Amino acid sequence: LRLICTTTAVQRKNIEASGPEKYTEAFIKKQIEEFNLGKRHLANMMGEDPETFTQEDIDRAIAYLFPSGLFDKQARPMMKHPTEVFPEQRKIQWGEDGRPFHFLFYTGKPSYYSLMHETYEKLLNVQKHQDQLLADDLPLQKEKRNLAGSRWLTRIELEEMLLEKVSDHDYSRFIQLLEKLVAQPCADIEEKYIQKFSKEVPVQLQQVVIEPLQHDERGVAFSTGEGKRKTARATAVVYDNGTGKITVNGIDILHYFPVLQDREQLLFPFQFLGRIGKHDMVCTVSGGGRSAQAGAIRLASAKALRSFVTEKEVEFMRQAGLLTVDPRVKERKKPGQEGPRRKFTWKKR
Amino acid sequence: RIMPVRWSRYNPSYLEPEVKKESYQKPLEELTEEEREQMELKAVRPIKAAPLTLSSSVFSDPMISKFTNMMMKSGNKVLARSLMSQTLEAIKRKQLEKYHKAPENEKETIECNPYIIFHQALKNCQPIIGLSNITKGGKTYQVPVPLTDNRKRFLAMKWLITECRENKRRRTMMPEKLSQELLLAFNNEGPVIKKKHVLHKMAEANRAYAHFRWW
Repeated sequence: LRLICTTTAVQRKNIEASGPEKYTEAFIKKQIEEFNLGKRHLANMMGEDPETFTQEDIDRAIAYLFPSGLFDKQARPMMKHPTEVFPEQRKIQWGEDGRPFHFLFYTGKPSYYSLMHETYEKLLNVQKHQDQLLADDLPLQKEKRNLAGSRWLTRIELEEMLLEKVSDHDYSRFIQLLEKLVAQPCADIEEKYIQKFSKEVPVQLQQVVIEPLQHDERGVAFSTGEGKRKTARATAVVYDNGTGKITVNGIDILHYFPVLQDREQLLFPFQFLGRIGKHDMVCTVSGGGRSAQAGAIRLASAKALRSFVTEKEVEFMRQAGLLTVDPRVKERKKPGQEGPRRKFTWKKR
Repeated sequence: RIMPVRWSRYNPSYLEPEVKKESYQKPLEELTEEEREQMELKAVRPIKAAPLTLSSSVFSDPMISKFTNMMMKSGNKVLARSLMSQTLEAIKRKQLEKYHKAPENEKETIECNPYIIFHQALKNCQPIIGLSNITKGGKTYQVPVPLTDNRKRFLAMKWLITECRENKRRRTMMPEKLSQELLLAFNNEGPVIKKKHVLHKMAEANRAYAHFRWW
């Protein structure tokens, strides 16, 4: 008989060490049944048909029955399907005798390493196939995949797929393996496997709608555009059949922008499209400094010119960087430092 | 993959903008395979906004804007740009004087375009090899090391500017002195070229330590 002396502190259950709460399958099933029952009750209460009661109807009903003034949407009462409420978890990975199911369980990241093993197996398959073709003197297929139209899964998507954490280093190794597999000439054999990890990117980034031209009283076509840069906001109205006069806040640009660089920036979109003497422009701008106002007007005029020009030229303008909003703003000052980056003078004593 | 050491406001997937008009007017057949891939990539990815110093006009030159930025003090771009334009004007005036005074047969050899003179002078000032301090066994040695293009351009511009700031008389203006230096560098004379030759000789003298470099 051995007396084991322990303190009461150790005998308490260590809640932090056991990790996030694990749900059994039976529990989740019960929750799903309860949810379905509750859905029918709710439909009865609202006087609607229980068979055709969708999630949107549930949300509306709950918002009606339990009105809440809380700002955070996640804090308000909600009724969702249990699979959305309880995060998807790994089922317990060992049997009753304590022996794990997966052969790589003791590596700590079994699904990641098994994924790497599978991908490498596919790579070896492809190489064997290539060697066979070379031995039979058959030509290797060299059809290049369209790399621009697809992208690999992001690290977070991969984590969701594998249900375990993937570090940056592991993720980059996985992407390197995939790239190597794709670079092989006979990778078409494993197309299905590769497609599991690649996603379509919208081929053209022209998701912006180009407005049609408007006409004012005299019949002259014009279009408006808005632009911003740092704190400056500008609106520009570009008229057709003009002589190239540009007015800012009622003042001519020669007087408003005495610096050559700003005037160059104003004329940049017109010069790029070759339409310098053909358009008139009237703009209003407020806020920011000298260069910021010039940049804002440049963006506004480029956006206005989109309606006058063919789609191809709009794409050229986008690739020249005329249509993107410049996200650079003044960096905030941090505590413990004199400015955004400058530290206080270091004194030895 | 290159991780940015200093973060930028743009997402890493943003590409650099291409401002020159000529690159968009090339027909499809003339492009090589790489250029075609680049075009396809550009069609899918978002593109950064063009900086305010860049423009598609004939008068904007990336080298000149870089040089202007290096000459700028405490953010006074207006002053730096005016100095630069005065320098180019001074070069043009001096060259035109020389052109009108020269006899007929030499008139063709005299270069009047200030941009060409600027570019050629910079190219002549660029060192081919540089020295870097490597500490081995407690002693620091000056080891000859190859330089990247960017570093060569930066050194040439830096030398020109420091030379003009320090070695001019009290009364001479910066554009005058700069135009003088640029014309001398264009003809492979002058203190900046001498500095470049001194660097080359030091590198040749320290040739024995070249094997200390590990990159």
